[in-house]
Amino acid sequence: MIRFDYKRPDSIEECLALLDMYREKARLFAGGTDLMVEFRAEDKKLKDVELVLDISKLTELKIIKLDQGSISIGSGATFSQIIENPVLEKYAPFFIEACKTVGSPQIRNTGTVGGNIGTASPASDSVPPLVAMDSKLVLASSKGTRNILLSDFIEGAGRTLIQPDEVIKSIQFKKLKPEAGFSFVKLGRRKTLAIARMNVAVYVESDKDGVVTDVRIVPGSATPVSKRIFEAENMLLGKIPSYDLHEAIGKKVSEKMIGITGKRWSTPYKEPVIASLVKRALNEATGVKENE
Amino acid sequence: MPLMGTKNYRHLNKRLNRVDSADKITGRALYAADVKVPGMIFGGSLRCKYAYAIIVEIDTSKAKAIPGVYAVLTAKDVPKTQSWADYPYLSDGTVRFVGETVAIVAAETTDLVEDALKAIEVEYEELDGVYTIEGALEKNAVQIREKGVGLKDGLPDKDKKGNIFYDSYYPIRKGDIEKGFSEADFILEREYKTPFVEHSYIEREACVVMKDPDAGIVTAYASAQNPFFTRRYLADAIQAPFNKCRVVQKMLGGSFGGKEELVGLMVGRAALLVMATDRPVKMVATREESFMESAKRHPFNFKYKAGLTKDGKIIAWEGTQIANAGAYNNQTQYLNCRAAIHSAGVYNIPNIKTDTYGVFTNNIHSGAMRGYSSPQIIFAQEQFLNEIAKEMGIDEIDLRRKNILKQGDLTATSQKLTAETITLEMIDHMVNTTEYYRKKEEYSNTHKSKEKRKGIALVSCYRGSGYGAETPDAGGSLVTAIEDGTILINTGLAENGQGLKTAYTQIAAEGIGCTTDIINFVGVDTHSIPDSGMTVASRGTVMGAQSMRKASIDLGTLLRETAAMLLKTDPDKVDIDNNEFYIIGSDGKNKVSLADVCNTRLWTGKAMAVYNWSEPGDLGIDHHTGQGDAFPTYSYGVVVAEVEVDMETGFVDVLKVSSGHDVGTCVNPDTVEGQIYGGIAMGQGFGVTEEVPVNKGQLESKNFDSYIFPTSIDVPEMEAVIFECDDSAGTYGAKSLGEPATEAVGAAIAAAVANATGVPVRELPCNLERTLLGKSLSKGGMIK
Amino acid sequence: MNKIKLVMTVNKKNVETEIEPYARLLDVLRDKFGFTGVKEGCGIGECGACTIIMNGKKVNSCMVLAAQAQGADILTIEGVENSDGSMHPVQEAFLEKGAVQCGFCTPGMVISSYHLLNENQDPTDQEIKEAISGNLCRCTGYKQIINAVHMAADNMKK
Repeated sequence: MIRFDYKRPDSIEECLALLDMYREKARLFAGGTDLMVEFRAEDKKLKDVELVLDISKLTELKIIKLDQGSISIGSGATFSQIIENPVLEKYAPFFIEACKTVGSPQIRNTGTVGGNIGTASPASDSVPPLVAMDSKLVLASSKGTRNILLSDFIEGAGRTLIQPDEVIKSIQFKKLKPEAGFSFVKLGRRKTLAIARMNVAVYVESDKDGVVTDVRIVPGSATPVSKRIFEAENMLLGKIPSYDLHEAIGKKVSEKMIGITGKRWSTPYKEPVIASLVKRALNEATGVKENE
Repeated sequence: MPLMGTKNYRHLNKRLNRVDSADKITGRALYAADVKVPGMIFGGSLRCKYAYAIIVEIDTSKAKAIPGVYAVLTAKDVPKTQSWADYPYLSDGTVRFVGETVAIVAAETTDLVEDALKAIEVEYEELDGVYTIEGALEKNAVQIREKGVGLKDGLPDKDKKGNIFYDSYYPIRKGDIEKGFSEADFILEREYKTPFVEHSYIEREACVVMKDPDAGIVTAYASAQNPFFTRRYLADAIQAPFNKCRVVQKMLGGSFGGKEELVGLMVGRAALLVMATDRPVKMVATREESFMESAKRHPFNFKYKAGLTKDGKIIAWEGTQIANAGAYNNQTQYLNCRAAIHSAGVYNIPNIKTDTYGVFTNNIHSGAMRGYSSPQIIFAQEQFLNEIAKEMGIDEIDLRRKNILKQGDLTATSQKLTAETITLEMIDHMVNTTEYYRKKEEYSNTHKSKEKRKGIALVSCYRGSGYGAETPDAGGSLVTAIEDGTILINTGLAENGQGLKTAYTQIAAEGIGCTTDIINFVGVDTHSIPDSGMTVASRGTVMGAQSMRKASIDLGTLLRETAAMLLKTDPDKVDIDNNEFYIIGSDGKNKVSLADVCNTRLWTGKAMAVYNWSEPGDLGIDHHTGQGDAFPTYSYGVVVAEVEVDMETGFVDVLKVSSGHDVGTCVNPDTVEGQIYGGIAMGQGFGVTEEVPVNKGQLESKNFDSYIFPTSIDVPEMEAVIFECDDSAGTYGAKSLGEPATEAVGAAIAAAVANATGVPVRELPCNLERTLLGKSLSKGGMIK
Repeated sequence: MNKIKLVMTVNKKNVETEIEPYARLLDVLRDKFGFTGVKEGCGIGECGACTIIMNGKKVNSCMVLAAQAQGADILTIEGVENSDGSMHPVQEAFLEKGAVQCGFCTPGMVISSYHLLNENQDPTDQEIKEAISGNLCRCTGYKQIINAVHMAADNMKK
């Protein structure tokens, strides 16, 4: 176990001041569900940590609110808190579905969405729907705040653009249309308590004739950073959803994945599987049935 | 139908709350890691990161200099490095598997233990090792153990050098194999494989060892599956007489065969630290250490060849079964005895030739895990049978009905099955109650789907009950009456979580005639009772409890004599009900309480206790032919699994498992069902997800984040079917269940997957990649 | 490193001790206060053997720093029994339904079941399975545990 001192700042301002003072030597502790594992394993990236700043009790980081069409989730909101939130239930149901698949009930009670983003695991469950919603992050430091697109913020597996003096304050996105189609599909090695082997978040908006007017497709665990696959999305835009079209879109996502990662040891598996998951998610979001 | 419930017992065949549940439910139960004694310090092991290497130099000076660090021991500081059972307490200078201990430390706190381990400097020279069964048998393979032998004409030969563990070689030769194949109309040959599997008991290995003048030299409180076996390590490590080394078993948080070697070694290491520091020492394995040094289920490579007549009778069976034993080993020679005896399945085959042996590799050792080879073997054999049925175009159930062992048949070792054998009735019952054929038809309608397909399969198996020919199946029990009318029972066999205390309480109550609530089971303390062999081989109830049955019947007789004296009548006119002796037919007027009887015996100087020793039957197999009577009797199992396979992801959803077992006599339906349900979950893991991936000796799973076994949401619908029969071999007619409960489940699931996909399963587990692609993927590297 | 004075409530009693800033709540409960019913199985938040209820929420105590429990209200398995020392209906049902084998996951299982029944008096099979999905058991196959939770729910309604 890595050994460190512990401080629990009473406000974000105090937290930012301490962070400014300790910088790389401090580590923010939100839910701790990743960090405790890494401390125990004496993860190399934590070797300089001397101080843990416990932000798990900062209520101002836990607020979820809807304000003029924009939803803001405090970075310290736990997955349990998110799952039970009626605003998110209405406007971002696939995000809730994703959060329900994180770890176990115990883990969801402490794990936070900000922590999940900060860890930047390619297998994150909460990130794909957030990317699909074009979420932006509000980062705060003692110098002020800045906004950044989530998909730009995550740089690679375990790497983000956060500065040593910064805190992820909140995640913001525009509310989606409750009547639109949503889907989050996750594949793990068992039905629960499993890291995603692969997952995908899908959002489809259609007009009254069934023509798709907006679509987002974000696979997880497929590439080091979850991003919208615009080429695949464009295939559906302006079209009427169908099984065959979804199958083709799945293959396009798969093709793009290989374009990004190259052929790796896991490609023979991931190539067909991500295509299928995308197809299924689109089917589910648009009510298309298996080819009959 | 011979289902449970027709036998006439007072306390058997009936449900009883487990006698140890209340303490476990309230958190009062003390497990080894919960023990705290005054002055206690902490121990830890420094483990090597290489699979095969020479230790060039160890420098412990910096560790020793840390204040609060009391001992740092390496090979040169201990009486012996290698334990009585081959496994090392401390490396002798060459490390042969990842995780081998090269130094041990004791310090005031666990933090200081960490500091000390980090401060030890070791220089290694890495060597090229052997890691797989195929690698170990390669012509020019490095010989990693001096005692390894080679092959001659395809069979292990003592005069050749190599990596074969010769003591683990068991041939079976029955009938005339060449004649058998020459008369066959149909011949098929196939190969199968299984991986390393981890027990994954939730409690990690732990012990507290302390100097104890009352015991002689030392006492160890340990999470020991087999306390007497652990005592062997304790006495061996510090080179002390057994009668001065005491092991007390604490409540055990699951074992399944796993808390044997590592617990023994850990107790030995802690004892060395106790002797060096004069302080009580606690050692608790981290989960990662438990993965690294606790035994694994043996990986096996199987090759089978069968010859059948055109009407589906198997007349020739040839096989090679090779186990990966790991670097050090003292289990494969027993395990392979069982593996050889069962090498032709539960089938009546006149001509058999099989060879079973283990090989040394630079891996963690393989050992005992629930089944002791049977889950692997049954997986391979039952897939093979279904492949035969498919190739021959005959019904897979008919093939089994035609060949399955029945009463009067000869097993692979030519043992005649004299007891009632209800295999055909079991198959018919399971086929009917699961609606096997209706479902098979229904599920076949899904077999064209691109997405999800369902499958169903039935497998059958049998298992020799108890030790059998492996080792003498003997044991002793002490039953003591106390002046207040309560009873203490004591035996060398141990509660491992399976419910032994409860079963023994029922068996003792049956023998004495008293109620179960006045009986207390003494936990195993090696200073209190003789060694009764290990609590393994599903022998606890079947064979181990024979002495408990006899001792309690004898004590009951003594108590009745005194009761008769007090009631002024003959003992045969006295019976007992609700702990009161009465004269039969006296309308309950003439009664004397058990307490009065016990009190009278105490104050008249009569024996208050009976000790009984149960000797093994006359069993044994010829080492060259494997022929002979191998087991006192056999348990039979028929398991039906239903699955849904996601053809686009390879995900196997186990929908339902119906598990039928002939238990002879069901002692306690609650615990029997508990064994069956738990066995199904463990079998599901074996079939679908469980594998400790090993890459050149490095374990790629060391904790429960990547080692995946079923959660509450994953387990299937379960049906436990309990069969009973008349078979006098075991205690009150009971037969083995603990291992049978899991041994055929993985096989049934794999066969159901094959039914769903149309592709035979030849390697476990049926994980995502293997089910979708037909092969596993190993980590690392780019594909060109 | 500076030691921290920790004050919290465990099983309705106020307790106080000095801890290392990096100490896990699991270790402090076990080693400083003797609540050894809180078990450690994996140390990485997977098995749920160390489950406790902290400020009304169930958590893995191996994933919580003891320092985070400053002022917290904690319930461990030792506090589940009724105030007269009799077993809680959940515990009685575990006993009656054969839901216990080796018993090492049991404290965590009981806590998760107890927590569920506090929030949901009439859980379905699926709700029970979800409530105990963060508690791994290697012995029972979960079936008798699920039966026990149903039984406890029925008995608590009486």
